[in-house]
Amino acid sequence: MPGDGSSSAAAVWAVLRKECRSEWRTRWALNSALLFAVTSLTAVSFAVGRLGDRADVLAALLWVVLLFAALASLAHAFVREVEGGTLTLLRLVASPTAIAIGKLLFNLLFLGLIEVVTVPLFLLLMGAPPPSWPAFLGLLALGSLALAAAATLVGAVISQTRGRGALFAGASFPLLLPVLAAAVSGTRAQWAGGPPTAELRLLAAYATALLAISALLVDHLWED
Amino acid sequence: MNALQGARAVVGAPAVPEVRAAAVRLEVRGLGHRYGMRTGLEPIDFEAESPGAVAVTGPNGSGKSTLLRILAGLLRPSRGASRLLLDGREVPAAGRRARVGFAAPSLAFYDELTAVENLEFVAAARGLDRPRARAEEALAGVGLAARAADPVAAYSSGMRQRLRLAFARLHRPPVLLLDEPGAHLDDEGRTTLERIVTDHGRDGLVVIATNDEREWRLAGRRIELRGRSLGRPA
Repeated sequence: MPGDGSSSAAAVWAVLRKECRSEWRTRWALNSALLFAVTSLTAVSFAVGRLGDRADVLAALLWVVLLFAALASLAHAFVREVEGGTLTLLRLVASPTAIAIGKLLFNLLFLGLIEVVTVPLFLLLMGAPPPSWPAFLGLLALGSLALAAAATLVGAVISQTRGRGALFAGASFPLLLPVLAAAVSGTRAQWAGGPPTAELRLLAAYATALLAISALLVDHLWED
Repeated sequence: MNALQGARAVVGAPAVPEVRAAAVRLEVRGLGHRYGMRTGLEPIDFEAESPGAVAVTGPNGSGKSTLLRILAGLLRPSRGASRLLLDGREVPAAGRRARVGFAAPSLAFYDELTAVENLEFVAAARGLDRPRARAEEALAGVGLAARAADPVAAYSSGMRQRLRLAFARLHRPPVLLLDEPGAHLDDEGRTTLERIVTDHGRDGLVVIATNDEREWRLAGRRIELRGRSLGRPA
């Protein structure tokens, strides 16, 4: 019987494919995110040159660029549905859980694409290759997961509110702060030569907690 | 009583195969809704069974669209309840969207995608086999086959309305909920709508919310909402 599996992998895959297709057709989020990342990195590079010996500045700069490049798109995953009037269609064809997972996977994919362009450019311009690639990539992966989970959750919660722009900033700040603090601290530690074990654990635990909260809340988010 | 009295016979086989024969029963008991302090739907009771079509009429603001949104599972009522039974077994609230086809003026599609891509997504999300083929069949059934590859952004109001009808029928649900289904349709579109209501009403149940006589005459039974209208504020 059709529809029984709407919370299944098929529905998640359908939502993810739809998100990718829509973004590829318009490319507004990808283009603006890449433009921001490349121009800000280039500007900083011209202004201060290489920062290979400043682990603290390097770590903060990397995560600030990634956060601001991706945040506009991450936050709008659900807002686009509300503003385009397509939320009714989406609610009719897939369960809230499938929609949320599909959107989260798209946000992760989007963040990954931004990082594929931004991170090599950052390392090249700043002249700071990571001493430990596994630690660096682990921080990027877990930091991205936590960032995407937090932004997706807040985006879903505020999507049907009136002052969602202002609300997103206020609601996401306390959720994003621990992610940024742990990611910056861990990235700085690995550039300084130390193991970022505690930060990796913190990011993994925080991402897991956010995903669990999302799973509990998501069924109640779009009830009129 | 044949619920399809008044429907005109239309020549031509539908492009989308008909719903499977299942006894559909819709029970509405004390169903009402408030939007904050404002009454959206005065409490109402009725029952409807397949095969057939039922029209819901009433003045603007009487709650026709609200009723259909509640029946589709999109809106939780402030009071009362509705039950959908298939072959005597109640469909749980979470499963209702799979058993109803819903078309309403508020239903929007992804403008950047083509019509067939929109319905292909819907079919895939609903877990249907051969989503692309199902989407193409559904579009052919409403006369949009030649424009299936056009972006929805390029669609006229009438074409968007046909797309809504294709969306509602895509998964061959036993219940069709159609809110102002003839809006923006040309003569050919209205003939298609009549065919859809007639064909679907042979096996399943169609609920049409409308004030257009051409539409409520397609139904064999009419339910008049006499709640507050625009002239009688809550």
